[in-house]
Order: sequence, then structure tokens, then C-alpha cells
Amino acid sequence: MKKIKLNVLFILGSFTLFTSCTDELNVTPKDDDVFLTETYFNSPSSYRNGLGGVYANLSLTGLNGPGTSNISGLDAGTSQFGRCLWYLQNLTTDEVIWSYENDPGTAELQRNTWTASNPIILGMFSRTMAQVAFCNGYLRQTSASKLSERGVTDASLLADIALYREEVRALRAYAYYNLMDLYGKAPFNTENDAVGVAGPEYNRQQLFTFVESELLAVAQNLKAPRTNEYGRVDKAFAWMVLAKMYLNAEVYIGQNKYNDCATMCSNVIGSGYTLEANYLHNFTADNHLSSEMIFTLQSDGVFTQNYGPTTVMCNGQVGSVENNGAAFGVGGWGGALRLRKQFVEKFQDGSFGSDERKTIISGSRPIEITNIALQGQGFVLGKYSNKTSTGMNGTNQTFVDTDFPLFRLADAYLMYAECAKRGASTATESQGVFYINQLRERANNSSVNNISSSDMTLDFLLDERSRELHWEGHRRQDLIRFGKYVGGNYNWAWKGNGSNGIAIPTHFKLFPIPSNSLASNPNLTQNTGY
Amino acid sequence: MKTMLKKLLFFMLILPFSVLAQNTLKGKVIDASSNQAMPGVSVTIAGTTSGTFTGYDGSFTLSKVNLGDTVSFSFLGYKTESVTYSNQDNLTISLQQDGQGIEEVVVVGYGKVKKKDATGSVTQISSKDFNKGATPTVENLLNGRVAGLQINTGGGPASGSAIRIRGGSSITAVNDPLIVVDGLPISNESPSGSRNYLATLDPNTIESVTVLKDASATAIYGSRASNGVIIVTTKKGGKQLKVDYNFQYGSGKHYRKIDVLSSSEFIDKIAQYYPDELDNIGVSSGLADDPSTPNINESRTIYNTDWQEEIFKRTDYVSNNINLSGSLFDAIPTRLSIGNTYQEGLIITDKFNRNSASLNLSPSLFKDHLKLTLNTSLSNEKNSFARTPIGSAIRFDPTKPVYDINSPWGGFYEYTNASGDLTALAPRNPVAEILQSTSTSKVNRILGNFQIDYKFHFLPELRAVVNLGYDESKGQGNPRVAKNSAVSDGNGGNKLIDKYGESSSYSSAFVNKLLDGYLVYNKEFGKLDLETTAGYSYQKFIEERYNSGNILNPTGDFSDLESTTDRILIGFFGRTNLTYNDKYLLTLTYRRDGTSVFSKENQFGNFPAVSFAWKLNNEFFKDNKTISDLKLRAGWGITGQQDLGRGRRDYYQSQYTTGTPGSQYVFGTSPITVGLPRDYNPNLKWEETTTYNAGVDYGLFNNRISGSVEGYYKLSEDLLFEAPFADGSNFSNNGPQNIGSLDIKGLEFTLNAEIIKKDKFNWNVNFNASKFERRIKELKTVNFTPTGGIGGGTGGNIQVFAEGWTPNSFYVYKQLYNADGSPIEGAFADLNGDNIINGNDKYIYKNTDPDVLLGFQSTMNYKSIDFSFNLRASIGNRLYNNVDSGNAYTNSLFSNSIISNVPTSTFDSNFTSPGNNVIFSDYYIENASFLKMDNITLGYTFQNWLEGKASVRVSAGVQNAFVITKYSGLDPEVFNGIDNTIYPRQRQILFGVNMKF
Repeated sequence: MKKIKLNVLFILGSFTLFTSCTDELNVTPKDDDVFLTETYFNSPSSYRNGLGGVYANLSLTGLNGPGTSNISGLDAGTSQFGRCLWYLQNLTTDEVIWSYENDPGTAELQRNTWTASNPIILGMFSRTMAQVAFCNGYLRQTSASKLSERGVTDASLLADIALYREEVRALRAYAYYNLMDLYGKAPFNTENDAVGVAGPEYNRQQLFTFVESELLAVAQNLKAPRTNEYGRVDKAFAWMVLAKMYLNAEVYIGQNKYNDCATMCSNVIGSGYTLEANYLHNFTADNHLSSEMIFTLQSDGVFTQNYGPTTVMCNGQVGSVENNGAAFGVGGWGGALRLRKQFVEKFQDGSFGSDERKTIISGSRPIEITNIALQGQGFVLGKYSNKTSTGMNGTNQTFVDTDFPLFRLADAYLMYAECAKRGASTATESQGVFYINQLRERANNSSVNNISSSDMTLDFLLDERSRELHWEGHRRQDLIRFGKYVGGNYNWAWKGNGSNGIAIPTHFKLFPIPSNSLASNPNLTQNTGY
Repeated sequence: MKTMLKKLLFFMLILPFSVLAQNTLKGKVIDASSNQAMPGVSVTIAGTTSGTFTGYDGSFTLSKVNLGDTVSFSFLGYKTESVTYSNQDNLTISLQQDGQGIEEVVVVGYGKVKKKDATGSVTQISSKDFNKGATPTVENLLNGRVAGLQINTGGGPASGSAIRIRGGSSITAVNDPLIVVDGLPISNESPSGSRNYLATLDPNTIESVTVLKDASATAIYGSRASNGVIIVTTKKGGKQLKVDYNFQYGSGKHYRKIDVLSSSEFIDKIAQYYPDELDNIGVSSGLADDPSTPNINESRTIYNTDWQEEIFKRTDYVSNNINLSGSLFDAIPTRLSIGNTYQEGLIITDKFNRNSASLNLSPSLFKDHLKLTLNTSLSNEKNSFARTPIGSAIRFDPTKPVYDINSPWGGFYEYTNASGDLTALAPRNPVAEILQSTSTSKVNRILGNFQIDYKFHFLPELRAVVNLGYDESKGQGNPRVAKNSAVSDGNGGNKLIDKYGESSSYSSAFVNKLLDGYLVYNKEFGKLDLETTAGYSYQKFIEERYNSGNILNPTGDFSDLESTTDRILIGFFGRTNLTYNDKYLLTLTYRRDGTSVFSKENQFGNFPAVSFAWKLNNEFFKDNKTISDLKLRAGWGITGQQDLGRGRRDYYQSQYTTGTPGSQYVFGTSPITVGLPRDYNPNLKWEETTTYNAGVDYGLFNNRISGSVEGYYKLSEDLLFEAPFADGSNFSNNGPQNIGSLDIKGLEFTLNAEIIKKDKFNWNVNFNASKFERRIKELKTVNFTPTGGIGGGTGGNIQVFAEGWTPNSFYVYKQLYNADGSPIEGAFADLNGDNIINGNDKYIYKNTDPDVLLGFQSTMNYKSIDFSFNLRASIGNRLYNNVDSGNAYTNSLFSNSIISNVPTSTFDSNFTSPGNNVIFSDYYIENASFLKMDNITLGYTFQNWLEGKASVRVSAGVQNAFVITKYSGLDPEVFNGIDNTIYPRQRQILFGVNMKF
């Protein structure tokens, strides 16, 4: 009897030991949306989907909807790449005011009083460096040795992957270009670094050299302009980024590279892009169809929902008094965005009466903003819309279908003209004037507002860039290049936290390295002045 | 045979007859050690079928006694006493406990220990001492009762609680204590559709709750023990048949509202601040304004709507439970409990209903060599969840009506334009939001364990125990919103046709399996008493959730099945208790734990503990009348933490994640399912907490006064902290890493006193006080990490983790005040003196932790009357008043082209807007110290109901009777210190009936 009982216990005990096998502790993901990295790349389609992921980081903040983010330290929706870019390049200038200053970071940005702990400055740095990491991750997973390890031998797939890799390198170069422009330095990581390695600090010159050489290299292999499918980059993308670098080379590395800039602009201009007949069709729900679009940041009310710049602008430009959301196909965020007086004045000369680029709504509003919280003060804008060029509403009235026009032909025209004005041997002023008049004729539907070459001063070019390209993520860079951002040469409302604008220190030409980023990477040093 | 007697006793109830001229014996039974009245003692006349039980106060009345009869008094666990009847009047019988002495036994991990022999910090509350009053969930049984235990229960029906032992020893890892039910550690994840993970347990079935606080007590649970352990033990069957029926009814009401402007005050303020908007007061009456009455606008109909009154209601609470315990077939101690709890929430459609049944069988075989225990509980939780639009109720214009017969929005008034389109960003009618949505759920749970405890025949000192545990919850629910609801899902537009309505279903299935096996060897070697336990434990948690997405969304069905990666824990544990001469006690504990949460290299951790106790009373005060108990104890141990939350159970792995249907990217003309690598950290390892604990347990005057004083120091290192990654080095800028350390110092004091112990009058009190201080010692790279999200802005934080400061300290701007003491809007101290007010001028001001926590419980019995109350206080805790900081601005009276209400406190600060950091002012940090009367209960017991065969206690009480606080908001008790509108706690009037047979 005793023995029987002991046997029972023995059996139970053995059962215990069998299940105790400690290998049980090595679990694998069970969710249908989650894969071990190796398993993920078992499928040939994963290479294209993975490429999609790298691109998507320009539009999405996370993979589970617009309220999620794969970076942290700030609101998920605000961490969108284009939105951070727009906040840093536009909100810190004379073009716009954000009414809800209780949204962390916005007050410091638009009053030019930011610190290294500003969440949006962190957001841009981290989002862009995450893009570098995603690019590097993709390049590691598609290296020749990985592909042969996995037995990928299909020639057409291998050719596709080779092109994907070039595009990813272009996106990585673009990320470093932004860091160079905004922060003047960045931690430098490539696909040769393992996950977890804190990159060494690259200064502006080093970044310039790297980005230039990468773009020149990949430009050889990228698809010809306008031949790649929508949503992917081609040669013209690389040329546009190079043009921007060369245009600002005096700021970045103290060298005059206007000749190279004009060459790149000419490359773009000669690629078959044409100005969209209606200026405003570059900012509608179907603007990806615009014939002058070189690259956009995607937004879609169904498939690519995000709180990016176009969703913010379409909803935010809706006036609190006007309640004009229906006109733009959105519900609207009651008066979030308004215009500073100095921007409005760029259009106040009587000659802009018929200019389609002037979408300013004044109503009975005062032009001055004396109290930022009062949404009834200051004029509002109507540039962006979630209606199509034919007046149909976008698919969703919060998340717009409107893409953000990151690079478009008009910018290449204006850069070309500026290079000519600044003495580039590869451009002529007369051609520059011609391009500007192309833009003006498009805007006015006639030559009534055309300029002559004597009108094309540098000051004119700066203002004309704002008239054509306002709210498109260029303004801060332009103001710096023209020497009008820091100091007191040009003051706009609320610059330096004064309602009429006051001078700001020189070190504000660069944003500080976010304190979190500085702390987590001992190789990084803070920018002077912060 | 005895059982038979009992059955016959009941039979006698039906057939009362008397044969002889008989007398009646009255008296009382008390516990010999405590002199406490003993209810439920069986009083029988030997050789007859006559008998009775003692009532609540220990008294009995036995009829039909003849001179010379032997009357026996018996009670489980006590020695039976017999008395020969000789016409005694008012007999008092004191019963001695069986076994040596009278020692209370407390439940600890994988075993029990005599309270007097405990070497760690252990507090047990058993059913007779549980909190009285409305206790819909288990943790409410001991709120305010244990020094160092904080329980913050939400205001909703059967709402979950934030439970913290000694403040919590992690920062961003999970700070919940481990909860063990009958040996089965349960998951702290709530299944979909459940109010919380403890909501399915019926508190009526609980025998005792033990709180293990220090490492020497908890280390046996190794990797899950850093935040303390709460062991819940259910009631078991007995030898005698007992029926215990409990009924409780409560009627509740909100007792406070957020103070907002009334209709007439609102009109005055609009006239003062936005006179142009007076035309928008009320709604159009269809009449023309009469110019002859300039002070009256006849064109408007003005309502006086108190929106908070509209969304709250009086509530009902009904709890019924019947407990049958006895011995099945005279051999199997059995308990069966069936209960139902129904609780309404304050919000009009909020309801909770729980049906539960539990069965415990605990037979002993082969002369107690083999003990089998089966505990099972089945429960069925049904909910109707209400939306909680308290923010809208604060802001909605009080001059507007609730209903509008012409409204396309379901007949509810909404802010619209002339064509009925909703006004963007306006508040939505809170009554409509509640009534136009439904959300029902159903959760079934089976929780149980089967334990085999075998004492070896050839070696009775050795026992083998196998415990199999199983916990399965299945939840499902169906949220719906009407298509014509202003808050319905839609395409973002403001027209009725832009709304889809909402209908979705969700479900979840959780399984938790446990297998423990251990050996216990216990033998005395002369003066040395040795007990050794060694064993193995395996536990697996499986979780699966499904959500259909909104099936009415025309753009696609975004259903998702989410399978959380399994979590598996394997442990090897051992413990040795050595007692020498009943004076010196030594406990050694060791656990080696493996977890699936870390990579192979870091899976296992070792968790040792040592504690020592010295019974000074046996050394120095052996026959001392005053000092009845005095024990010095000290312990040291290391415990672990591996719980990063459910999304992070495989964070060490390199993984790819694919985008949901709304998070895709378009190549060409079609969206593709994008894939991205997820951030990961292969180096994650255990967070470890070292605890030092020293205390004195004391007892005076035969333990009429008893308690403990103790102090502790805890140091958590390699914290699993959400910290930044070097940008570019990983696929996020942030993720869990082993960074930094946190220490906690604390003192705890407990006093139990029998102040009055008389025949007819007893008064017992329990007082506890605790103080702890948590400091972040080191954060390395991540000093000043923002935390504590607030409302009233997108992504704002009000708290920070900073070195040298308490976690969740407030990080704010220093408000400047004018000469008469009013705050100046947007004016802050330039703390760094650079003439710029920006983020560099923030400073740390106070935190959410209390300086002192106090609990006081009092129970009085006078004859058949009992009276008890529970007081609880928290001193020095601070709250960020986010209701004010988010709403109390004069600009909010008119924004987004509509007029809306504000808290009356707006006109204390007279601030215009939250912009430019006004919302981050220290002005909003308030002292939220409080004293709460959780419960007052008055009861009366009818001893001799049904001719003494039963007793009935009726009681009445008030739950949440009063709150004393200086805090200006609704309720000072808010977990995490940010008051951004909470579900109000109700005040209830309670009636109860308890019958025992």
C-alpha cells in the first residue's frame, strides 16, 4: 500500500521534472503581427515590405495607428517626421503662430526661447536618427552575405533588392542632411555598427562630406526622374537634397557651392517636371498627382493615418471665428494656426491682389497678435486643403489625404534664380528671372505681376521664396542663409519672446542636442551657447 | 455520529415537544486566552439530542436541562469542556485551544508559521477582523489595516485598486505586489471586459489575507517579490454543519461635485467677459426680443442644467452570499459558497454584477497522512460600462437643455451650426454620450488548485506537497455607439452623415497554470527544532485578446488578434527554519528563478534571504506579568523584478513588427503592409532589491496590547527603467534598460489593544502608522526624465524622475504673486537668472508620496450591540489639480466660437489661458492630506432566534462617511497625484443581515 502511494508521488514528481525542462523559458512570439527577424525575412515579399517600413517612417509615427509612436519623450502624433521638421523650420519663424501653447515645446519654439529639454527638438533628433537606424537595419538584413545565407537566388528579386538598398541609402543621407542643417552634428552610425553601439559624433563638415558622397554615389543607380513608382525616390530626390546642401554650403562649411547647386537644379528642371497649372493643386487631397512634385511625405485618411504636417495644417488653419473647416474638407482644430504680421505683409503690396498664392483670410481680424492665446487675433491661411482638385472631400476629415510637398519644382526654380543672383557660373540671371516669372504667371494667370531682372534682389528672392513656399518646411533655413534669422536684422512678432520681436542670440542658428540624446551618447557634445 | 446529532438538532426545530419539566441554562463561552466571546460554540446535553450554539457575544440559552445533566461545550480547535447542571445561573465557560498554547498561525509562502515564530515582516488579517461595510472586492477587506500597505480604489463599481506595499520598489517596471490565492500566484492583467483582476473573487469566501513585506518573508517568491506579496486564503470546510447567510444592501450617492458656475452665475460671467456672446445664452425661443425690456432677452430660452447632476444617479448595492460548511459523508470537510454582488456606479448606466460559487474539499486520509485539498471558485462577472464624460459635464453650458426635440443627434442638445452640423472642438452633451452608447461585457473565470500533502508513513517528519493550480478567464464584450451620437466614430467630419456609429466585439482568454512540488522535513533534535522546505515551481501565463474593430467603419474591418508572448517562470526554492530552545530563531531562504522575459544568458537569478529572531520574553521575561511577548527580529534578503508589462515579454529578441491596416505606406497605387524592426535590448536582466528589515514584536498584559515596530531600508538596483538609447543605435530612442537605483527608508508601527475587556463590554482598537521615503539614488544618463501625463495640452508632463528626488516629483515653474497675494498669469521666477523664462527655469516642488499614513480601527461590543469604524489618513501627499489647470481660464468661457462653463476657481486665479506654461505652474500643486472615515457600522445581534438554534445580526452603516481635507478639488485620494477628473467615490448607507445556523 505504501509503495503504491510512493509510486503515485514518484509519477507526480517526474511529471514535475519533465515540465521543468528549462528550455521552456525560450519563448517565441505568438502574435500574427510579430516575427523574429530571421522568420520575417523568410518571405520574399518581406524585402519590399521592409523597404515600405523605412519609407513609412517619414509618414507614420508607429505601426499601430496614428496615436502610437516608436520613439518617446513627446506626444506620439507630434513625433511625426514632417511635423517636427515643419515645427522647427516654420514655427520658429515669421510665417506662423501656434495658439495652443500648452502643447509642450511649442511656446519655446515660436518664441525662440528653446532649451535642450524641448520635446519637439528631441522628437526631430530622435525621429531622424531612428530613420538612420531603420535604414541601417535594412541594409544589414539585405547584405550579400545575409541574402546568400537565406538562399535568395531569384535574379529579379536580387535586382529589386539592389535598387531598394540604393533608395535606403538615399533616405539615410537625407536624414543626416536634416541633422546637419538643424543641429550641425549627429552621432554617426552605419550598417556596419551593431545594434547598441553609440555612434561617434560627426561635425557639420563630416556630415556634409558623407551625405554628398552618398548621394552622388546612389544618384548613379537610382531610377531616372519620374520613372519610379509613387512613394519612392529617384535621381531627382538625390539632386534636390544635393542642391539644398550646396545652396547652404556657406552656412554649413563656409564654402561657396552655388555652381554645384545650380547644376543640380538644372538637372531637376530638365527632368520633365512641369509646373502644375493651378498653384493650389500642390496642396490638395490629390496633390500627389501634381506634375511638379518631386517627393512628398504621404498622408492618407485610410491607409496612412498620421498627425503629420498636412493633417495639422489643414485642421489647424481652420479659423476659430470662421469655422471654415468644411471649405477644406476637415473638422478643424479651431484656430490652432495663425499668421504673424510680417508674413502677411509679404503679400500686402497691391500687386498681389490676384496672386493665387495669397490665401490669407483677414475678415474682421486684427493683423496683430498681442496675446497668442486669443485665436481671434491675427490673420489665418487657406493654403492647404483636404479637398481634391475637383472639390471632393478627402476620405477622412481628420486624417487628410493631402501629402506634404517636401520637394517640388518651384523650389528648384527659386534655388536656381538665387544661385544666379549669387554669381553661379552655371546659371544666368535672365534664366532665373524667367523661372520666377513662370511661377508668377502661374499664380496670377497672366504676366501682370512679372518682374524684371532689376527687381531680382536677394531680399526679393527671400520674400518670394516665402510667398511661394511658405508652410513647406524651408523658412528657417532660408532666413539663416540670408542672415536674417538670429540677431536683430529682421524681427518678427514674438521673435525672442517680444510681441514685436526682439533679437535672438547667434547660437539659435542651431538647435541644441536634446539633453536625453546627449546623456545617452557620451560621444556627443552640446552646441555652443546651450 | 456527531453530525447525526446535529441533524437531529435541526429536526427538533420542526418537531418541538417537551417531555419533562425542564429548566433553562443561560451562560456565555469565552476564549480562555483572550477572554473574547466565542460565537458558534456547540452546547449539547450529553446523551440527548438537545443542544444549541452560542451567539455573537458568546452567550447561549439551553432549554430542557435537567439537574444532573452533563452539558458539553465544543468548538473546532478547542478542548471540549463539560459541566454538570446544578441549577447554575449565568454560567461562564472558558475554552482552551487545542495543542500547545494558543498560538495564531499565519500563512506564508509554501507553508505556515506560528505568528510568534515569524522572523519576517508578516501581517495577517483574518475574516473576523476584516473591514466591515461595502467590500465588493478583496483588497477592500484590508484597506487602512496594515502598516505600509496603500490601497487606492477607484470610484467605479468594483473598480480596480492601485495596491502598493512600502511605496513600490521599482520606477517604471510594474509596482504591483504579487497576489497568491491558495498557493496560486495570479496575473495582475485584467481580462478584457473585467473591472479588474480581483473583481471576480468574492470577498465572502476569504478566510484570511496575509501581507508579506520584507525580503525574508517574500524571498521564497524570488523574482516576483520585490513589491511584497499578498496571500489570500479561502475558507475551508469544518466538522460541523454551519450555515452562514450574509445580506447587504447599500444606497449610494455622490457627495460632492466639481464646483462650476450655475446658470445664473454663468450668464453674469458671460456678460462680464464676453458681452457679445449674451445672444448665445440658452437656446432660441422663437420669440422676438422685446425692446421695451432691455434686461430680458425674450428671444432666448434659458435653462438651468446641472450637468453633473444629470450624469450621476443614486445607486443600489446588493450582496447576497450563503456559505455552507460541514463534513460531507462525515469524512470530507466541505465548504460551498454561493454569492451574488450587484453594484451600480454613480454614472447613470454603470453596473457591475458578479455571480460566484466556490467549493472547497479538504479530506484527510490514512490517519491524516494524506491530506487532499481542492479549492475551486467559479465566477461570472457581468458589466455595463458607462462612458465617463465628466470633463464635458464640467464644461457644458448650464443654460442649455439636455434634450432638444428637433436635434438630429438623437434628440439631445448639441452645439451645432444652423444646419445641424456639430461645432468642431466643442464639448459634447455628456448625457447623450452616456445614453447613446452601451458597453456590456461578460467574464467567466475558474480559479482553483488541488493540493496533495503526504506525510510519509515510514518517516512522518517528512511531507511531500504537490500543488496544481489553474486560473482561466474568458472575457467578451460589445461596445456600441449610436450612429446619431455626436461622439460616434466617423470620418472626422461634423455632419450626421459623417458618423458611422460604432459596433465592435472583443474577447480575451487568459490561462495561468501552476505546478509546485516541495518536500518539508520537520523534526526536533532536543532543543533544536528544524524545518526544511525544498521545492520546485513552474508557472505559465498565456494571454490572447481579440478585437473586431468597428465593424460599421466602411473603410475596412481592422480586426486584430493579439497573442501576447507566453510568460514562463521556473523556480527552485528552499527554506530552513531553525529554532533553538524557543528563544532563537533563524530562517534561511533561497530561490533560484528563471524567467522567459530575459535572454538565455540572463534568464536565471538567485534570491537569498536570512532572518533572525530572538524571543526576549522567553529569555528575560519568562514569568513577567506585564511583558507577555517580546521578540526582536532582523532580516536581510534580495528579491527580483522581471515584469516589464505585457508588451515587453520578449523585449530581448530581435523582432519585426508589421503595420496595422491604418498604418501602411503606398507604393504606386496600392498600400503595402510595412514591416519595421522593433527596438530590443538583449542585455536586460533582473532588477534586484536588497532589503534590510529590523523590528520588535511586543505584547503586554497577556497580549491585551500587542503590535510591532519596525524599520527597513530597501535598495533597488539595475532598475528596469525606460531610458533613452543612444540615438541611432536602436530602433527607438527609448526602451527598458537596467539603469539606476532607488532606495526606500521606512518605519512602521502597529498597535492592537483590547482597551476594555469586560463581561458585557469590549472595546478593541487597531492603530497603524507608516512612513516611508523613496529616493532615486542614481539615474545615470536619464536624469530628469519627464513623466506624469496631464490633460489640457497634447503630451504634457508634470512630474519627473530625477536623482536625489522621490519618483514622480512635480517639476514645475515657480509662480510669482503680486503684492496682494494673487498669482500673476504667466509670471514665473527666473530660477537660473538668464533673463529668459524657459524649460531651464523649472524646479522640483513636492511629490505624491505621503509623509505619514495612518489607520485606525475601533470595534466595540456592548451586550448584543456592536459598533465599529475605520479611519484612514494620509498626510503630506500632494496633488496636481489638473481639473483647474486644464479648465479654469476665463478664455474657456468662450472658445472655438462657443460659450462653455468653467470651474468657479477660475475667478480665484483669474487666469485667461493655459498657454505659455501657465498649466505647468506650481500654483496647481496642492496639499492633499486627508482623513477619511471609510466605514461606520452599528450592529445588533438577536442571539436566540429560532429557539436559540440560530443567531441573526442586523447592521446599518455608512460607507465613505466623511473626508476632511484642504484639497480644493473633488477628492484628495488620486493615485499618481494627477487629478484630471476622477470617477467620484460614492457615499453609501448600508444595511446588512447576517444569519448563522
